[in-house]
Amino acid sequence: MIKRCAMILVFGGLGFSLYSQDTPSKVQPKDSIFNAIKKTTPFQSEFSFKDAYTNQMDRDRHTNPLNIIAGSVPGLFIKRGKNGPAVLDAVRLRGTTSLTGGNDPLIIVDGVLGGLEMLSSIYPSDVQNITILKDAFETAQYGSRGASGVIVVTTKKGVKGKTQVNYTGAVGIISPYKTLDMLSGDEYRNLAKEKGWSILDKGLNTNFQKEIQQVGIEQNHHVAFIGGNNTSNYRVSIGFMDYQGVIINTNTKNFISNMNMDQDFFGGLVNCEWGMLGNILKNRKLLDEQKTFYSAATFNPTFPNHINPETGGWDKTPMANQITNPLAWMGVNNRDMTYSLGTHGRLVFNWNDDFKSAFFGAYTYSSTKDSQYQPTYACAFGKAYRSERSQETLLANFTTSFKKKLGIHLFDFYLLGEIQDEIYSGFNTTVTNFSSDIMGYDNLSLGALRPWEGTGSFREEPHQLSLMGRVNYTLANRYFLNLNARTDASSKFGVNRKWGFFPSTSLAWMVTEEEFMKKFEFINKLKFKIGYGLSGNQSGISSYNTLNLMYPNGVVPIGVTPVVTLGKIRNNNPNLKWEVKHTFNIGTEMAFFNDRVLLSMDYYSSKTTDMLYNYDVSVPPFSFNTLLANLGSMRNTGTEIALGFSLIQKKDLELNVNVNMTFQQNKLLSLNGNYEGKMLYGPQYKAISKLNGAGFHGGYNNIVYQVVGQPLGVFYLPHCKGLVSDGRGGYKYDVADLDGDAKVNLEDSKDRYVAGQAMPKAFLGSNVSLRYKSFDLSVQVNGAFGHKIYNGTSLSYMNMNTLPDYNVLSGAPKQKIQDQTATDCWLEKGDYLNFDYVTLGWNVPLNVNVQKYIHALRLTMTVDNLATITGYTGLTPIINSTTVDGTLGLDDKNSYPPYRTFTFGLSVNF
Amino acid sequence: MKNRMYLFILLSFLATSCDDFLTEKPTNSILADEAINSEKELYLNTVATLYNHIGEYEDSKGLMGTGRGVYDLNTFTTDEAIMPTRGGDWYDGGFWQGLFLHQWGVNNTAIQKTWEYLYQVVMNCNESLESIQRFSESHPIVNVAPYQAEVKAIRAMYYYYLLDLFGRVPLVLDTKQVDLEQSERSELFKFVVKELQAALPLLSISPSNRPGDYYGRLTRPVAYFLLAKLALNAEVYADNNWTDGQRLSGKKIFFTVNNMQLNAWQTTIAYCDAIEALGYRLENKYTTNFQVYNEISSENIFTIPMDKMLYTNQMIYLFRSRHYKHAQAYGLGGENGSSATIEALNTFGYATDHVDPRFDFCYFSDKVYDLKGKPVVLDDGSPLVYMPREVDVDISNSTYVKTAGARMKKYEIDKNAMEDGKLMDNDIVLYRYADVLLMKSEAKVRQGMSGDVELNLVRSRVGVAPISATLETLLQERQLELAWEGWRRQDLIRFNRFTRSYTSRPQLLNEENGYTTVFPISSETLKMNIQLKQNPGYSH
Repeated sequence: MIKRCAMILVFGGLGFSLYSQDTPSKVQPKDSIFNAIKKTTPFQSEFSFKDAYTNQMDRDRHTNPLNIIAGSVPGLFIKRGKNGPAVLDAVRLRGTTSLTGGNDPLIIVDGVLGGLEMLSSIYPSDVQNITILKDAFETAQYGSRGASGVIVVTTKKGVKGKTQVNYTGAVGIISPYKTLDMLSGDEYRNLAKEKGWSILDKGLNTNFQKEIQQVGIEQNHHVAFIGGNNTSNYRVSIGFMDYQGVIINTNTKNFISNMNMDQDFFGGLVNCEWGMLGNILKNRKLLDEQKTFYSAATFNPTFPNHINPETGGWDKTPMANQITNPLAWMGVNNRDMTYSLGTHGRLVFNWNDDFKSAFFGAYTYSSTKDSQYQPTYACAFGKAYRSERSQETLLANFTTSFKKKLGIHLFDFYLLGEIQDEIYSGFNTTVTNFSSDIMGYDNLSLGALRPWEGTGSFREEPHQLSLMGRVNYTLANRYFLNLNARTDASSKFGVNRKWGFFPSTSLAWMVTEEEFMKKFEFINKLKFKIGYGLSGNQSGISSYNTLNLMYPNGVVPIGVTPVVTLGKIRNNNPNLKWEVKHTFNIGTEMAFFNDRVLLSMDYYSSKTTDMLYNYDVSVPPFSFNTLLANLGSMRNTGTEIALGFSLIQKKDLELNVNVNMTFQQNKLLSLNGNYEGKMLYGPQYKAISKLNGAGFHGGYNNIVYQVVGQPLGVFYLPHCKGLVSDGRGGYKYDVADLDGDAKVNLEDSKDRYVAGQAMPKAFLGSNVSLRYKSFDLSVQVNGAFGHKIYNGTSLSYMNMNTLPDYNVLSGAPKQKIQDQTATDCWLEKGDYLNFDYVTLGWNVPLNVNVQKYIHALRLTMTVDNLATITGYTGLTPIINSTTVDGTLGLDDKNSYPPYRTFTFGLSVNF
Repeated sequence: MKNRMYLFILLSFLATSCDDFLTEKPTNSILADEAINSEKELYLNTVATLYNHIGEYEDSKGLMGTGRGVYDLNTFTTDEAIMPTRGGDWYDGGFWQGLFLHQWGVNNTAIQKTWEYLYQVVMNCNESLESIQRFSESHPIVNVAPYQAEVKAIRAMYYYYLLDLFGRVPLVLDTKQVDLEQSERSELFKFVVKELQAALPLLSISPSNRPGDYYGRLTRPVAYFLLAKLALNAEVYADNNWTDGQRLSGKKIFFTVNNMQLNAWQTTIAYCDAIEALGYRLENKYTTNFQVYNEISSENIFTIPMDKMLYTNQMIYLFRSRHYKHAQAYGLGGENGSSATIEALNTFGYATDHVDPRFDFCYFSDKVYDLKGKPVVLDDGSPLVYMPREVDVDISNSTYVKTAGARMKKYEIDKNAMEDGKLMDNDIVLYRYADVLLMKSEAKVRQGMSGDVELNLVRSRVGVAPISATLETLLQERQLELAWEGWRRQDLIRFNRFTRSYTSRPQLLNEENGYTTVFPISSETLKMNIQLKQNPGYSH
């Protein structure tokens, strides 16, 4: 029976975790979070503040471990996959601090380091707990890899002296519920008649947006075998997930296996832990999202939804060359398959209670195969592409820790030495001119041509070394001082610039341990902390940037023989060095009324200096127009507030409410800097994302810019005063003359102004859980606020000029806009509140006879993405508002239809 | 003591192995210092490598074949060609209208990227020269002079394009140069002429357009051609102040050719004669120069080798011009864009009884046919009819929004072309002998001689009646003969006609002073390189 099934919230660190399960459910065995923490971080000091929020109850129905905590941790933003399940689009801890990348947090699974993709190799049911590390001194142990935060995932381990089999599974459907309201076949036909256009009228009414959609079926199953005795234990699990997307022919299959073993030798002197996790992830996905959705919305709606029986092919029209028959496009076969294997071992020597040493080694290998075939009816002549990319990582470290207690003084020393070798390699090949579509990419010999540039391969091998020492000092159990000294070296940097030194320190005061606090009984916990530290970043850049290298750059005829020449393909920078992030943070944690009310507040401010970035540079003196260098700087500040209330705590009724809020600010301080004794000046305005599609090539279609002195990613647009007659029976956007030079100039820095930011200023996450007897209900709401979205979709689809080749929104003929000048007219507020999920669960009461065989049985019903509350007029406000790339802040004809999923879940313990 | 020594040895061993562990050893590329070990590698990696940049596939790169680069800046800014806005197509944020109306702006990405492309090749040439120098120091036996001459000639050619487009630009001759002050146009002009002249004796006399050892290379006839062009435009290029309405007469601009002092027109004639002496002649058929296997042409002087299997060079001009249905009829792609202007139609005598036969070689108009001779039809079954006279800057509301304009023909259709026709096997023609004849004719006229012979050689090849050569007839003839070949802007500027108003293109305020005859330096480039000064007439 679940006594306390509601959200389990763990504040604080090892040894004095304040909130625990008083009687853990049988579904979550009694191994408890604390065991796990001790196991995975044997030398983590007692003085480590971790926020581990785990929503135990609902993890079984999630597709990715991080979804368990989505919306539960302030400062953590997770964008879920657009086409439904399994894959995460972006994860940010405390915003974007680097321009070159490396903004994804480090993922650590049982001590094995990896990227976001590693999360798909873990079945959510296998997760014991997830810890988020954000402050500099918390991430110090992970060095440069942890510069953007660390997410530590600990998988479940076996339990001593207990044998169990657990099954969890779910089946559900994923169903799109919204499409754009374009002109129907009839409306299109009538309009053409009215206007006297010559159109190709096939006489039908086809909604291609609906034609390419499907109601997808989802299922997942997971079985875990758990066992052990006094000196050893094991846990082995296998899982399988199969998800269809909301667009036909898209799906994801994931097979996961996880094994953990733990054994003591020599009476506990030596402990050995070994684990392996592997998965095979297969996807079939869209080749070009924009082309797919652009085509589905604007393709001639009088065309049939089936193959033309006369020609045996899809009807097409070349008139609109930016789009194609969307159903023909669905014939593109685009798949990838990733197989990965991670294995790790740890040998711990418990010399005595206060002195331990450990060797740790981990090896991970993952390889992705891409296979693509564009049939002759989707792309003239047919085109096949195959590639393989692999990544190998070997990491080894040695750690030792020593504790010493002298009266009220407690010292804790920790030393680490680490070495890492990574190998990235791959190849690709392109074949065209297929004589038939029957073999696709399975026999490339059916294609006649292999252009020179279509085949290539690569390899790079970056190395890292690290040394670290740490002292924790605790005075009278209530004053804490932490000092970290860490040095990292990366092969990617210039000679004599490979090593970086990144110290950090922090202070904390556990006020509730003071005598004078004893009288305030309603305060269970009051803690203040403050910290400052440096961390290095290098993960966003590739190897060999410091070397003056020559690469194959093309074929030239030498006599009658074609020969490949070598040439420089980029500027090299021999002075490349570490990007440094300086972080200051201050915070407090509180608990009142016997933990019924929890509150934590944090403020942080980080400044990234020597910022690695591909700066625009002048040609000449440089040969190429960008240079990877350490010039500019950027600031991120934020406030994070988490609140938890146990409003009702009775035997049969419980109600918990958790709310967290994050306020973030970002400012690009400078893109100038000194390079080899000379000032380099970055451009004041640099476009990040621009519109695409018919009539949007080049010109002044840039929307989101990077502007010095502004947050990263601002809308820098001409101002539209309204619509004015274009003198041709329609309307155009009336662009304001902002610089007052009596003419309208759409260029950068002329008649443009900063009209808003693309990244949200605030995030909200809230969870409400209610239990009545054996039934429970949980609702998760997430939201983002203060940012804007450029509705390029409406700008394009409201332009009557694109008719009749491209269909328009049904409201367009009334508005009569015959213009697609990009102005702030289609800049909208992006605020939204999304009901991520609602889950109803039932822990089925079992009688004693049944319990001999079945220990616990739980049924759940979940609706994901129940509703989105927003003022945004496009399909969905949940677009890319966090990652700095060509889609930032821009809704440009490429949004998947919003969807809901309905899932039934079952969980049984034998 | 001994222990300490062991410790020291251990530590230094560790330090060395750490250093070694952290040293990068790339295997998918090679250190520039190690890339040239033999004379063959010297040629490949310092000289041949540069030819990868003559043609290109990216926007704003390459001398011809690609969009938004040298060719477009020389073509869509003139009375020869127009890219009308066709409803949702070809608005492109006002880019094409800006080119046609000479309102390209100081922050035009295409102009910036074109500058960066030209200077990238200049800097690559400088790197090559430094590599050759290093090689020659370690291999004193090898005669590196011909390699140096070829690289210097390529660099000179790129400076020719730079001075033509941008007027005053910094003369950068090595990779370490810090001072980037702009040189006067006349100094650049002198430099380019001097460099090409110095290279001449070391360059092969072999034709460059034919497969063989010199295919696609800057050989002596190419250098002669460039020198003739430079001399013909001497009045423009020697003019440091192009907004004062005054140019030095070509008769007063002197060159040293074969130890003789010749004026600009005599120099042009001399280099044209030198090309003729190498055996170039007009092909009997105009179209031979642009056919799929045009390597056999005796008229083409400098081409961009095209082979869909080997080279990445693309030719997008046919693709972006023809109507979708028209392209589909060939099994290729189209973007339904570029067209002839009203001025070009008038020059060709379109729809008159005296239409020039070259109109049909250069343009598709009215009804068009597929490869089997059947008319190309639209979706509704009606025939596709191009309406040449319906072009304008913005024809979005026209009945002929999709069909207005005479389209580019020029090159024979390569039925086996790939990538919508962008990868075709016809070599792209940069320089050819018909232009040499017209240059010679013009130089003669400007020198006060008769240029009738050369002009009428060109005319009689296509069967049109002889006329007498005047500046007026020559400018016309250059349009007729060289349509779509990227010379129009330079010609109009030389004839002082670039800034005039014509159909749908009003003259800009102050434009008569000639400030639009050079492009602005992009404001982004100015910001990044504070030593540079903007060209007159343009704001920052």
